[in-house]
Amino acid sequence: MASSISYPEDKVAWFIKDSSLGLVSNYSSTGTTRTSRKAWQAVDHAVTDGLLLHYWAEPKKITSIGDTPDIDNTFHLALVDYVKMCLYMDRAGTTQGESSGIAFQLSEMHKRKFQESVRRFGNRRREKTGGVRAILPYNFQ
Amino acid sequence: MSVHSLTAKKIISRVRQVFPDAPESYIMSLLNDALVEAGLYSTKGMSAKVSVVADQMFYDLSDSAKDSSNNVLELNKIHRVDFMDDDGDYIKIPRLLDGETLMFDITSESVIEQPD
Repeated sequence: MASSISYPEDKVAWFIKDSSLGLVSNYSSTGTTRTSRKAWQAVDHAVTDGLLLHYWAEPKKITSIGDTPDIDNTFHLALVDYVKMCLYMDRAGTTQGESSGIAFQLSEMHKRKFQESVRRFGNRRREKTGGVRAILPYNFQ
Repeated sequence: MSVHSLTAKKIISRVRQVFPDAPESYIMSLLNDALVEAGLYSTKGMSAKVSVVADQMFYDLSDSAKDSSNNVLELNKIHRVDFMDDDGDYIKIPRLLDGETLMFDITSESVIEQPD
């Protein structure tokens, strides 16, 4: 079933409600635009493959030792940092004295490295397009 | 020529340079924790098609949600939505940031959590 909406940018909108995508439209299949206070309702006709979602996805789980992590290879070293962070924290909790302090500091170091590569830079570090960014101001005339 | 990447086995061998006694299953578990953590940020971009159902306002985005080809979406954060127009082209549609529509349709929605 095809869409019968000519200008979705004017007649359809989306929003997030908990773990759901809300889709509302003021278009009526009778050909008229709804204008009453109940104008924005669900889309009133089915559209096969009608929505194209662009999103950040969750990587797949590793199940075997031969698996390659389901994430861009630029983040693979960050995974090593995360594992070392946890293991050093375990060591800090199971030893005493100076070695515990050293393990804690090393855990913090790996935590910083993981956060820097994943949380702080994320997609920006590996962005495929690159180049200088420019801002085009709105024309008020 | 393929790009350099690390398998779980290579990651385990790197970790064992410092922690030779760390159990393999524990490292694998930590690796999956790391992937969940990394997935919270913009690390894996995807696009998927979902069919629009007549008179249905809400579409499931939970961990088990599927696209129109019955593949699991594995979705964390949507940053753009396109809607198919009458020519079959996908057009970007605006987002209502507060999501506060005047009329809330609950009667036909199976994805909204309701008490048993």
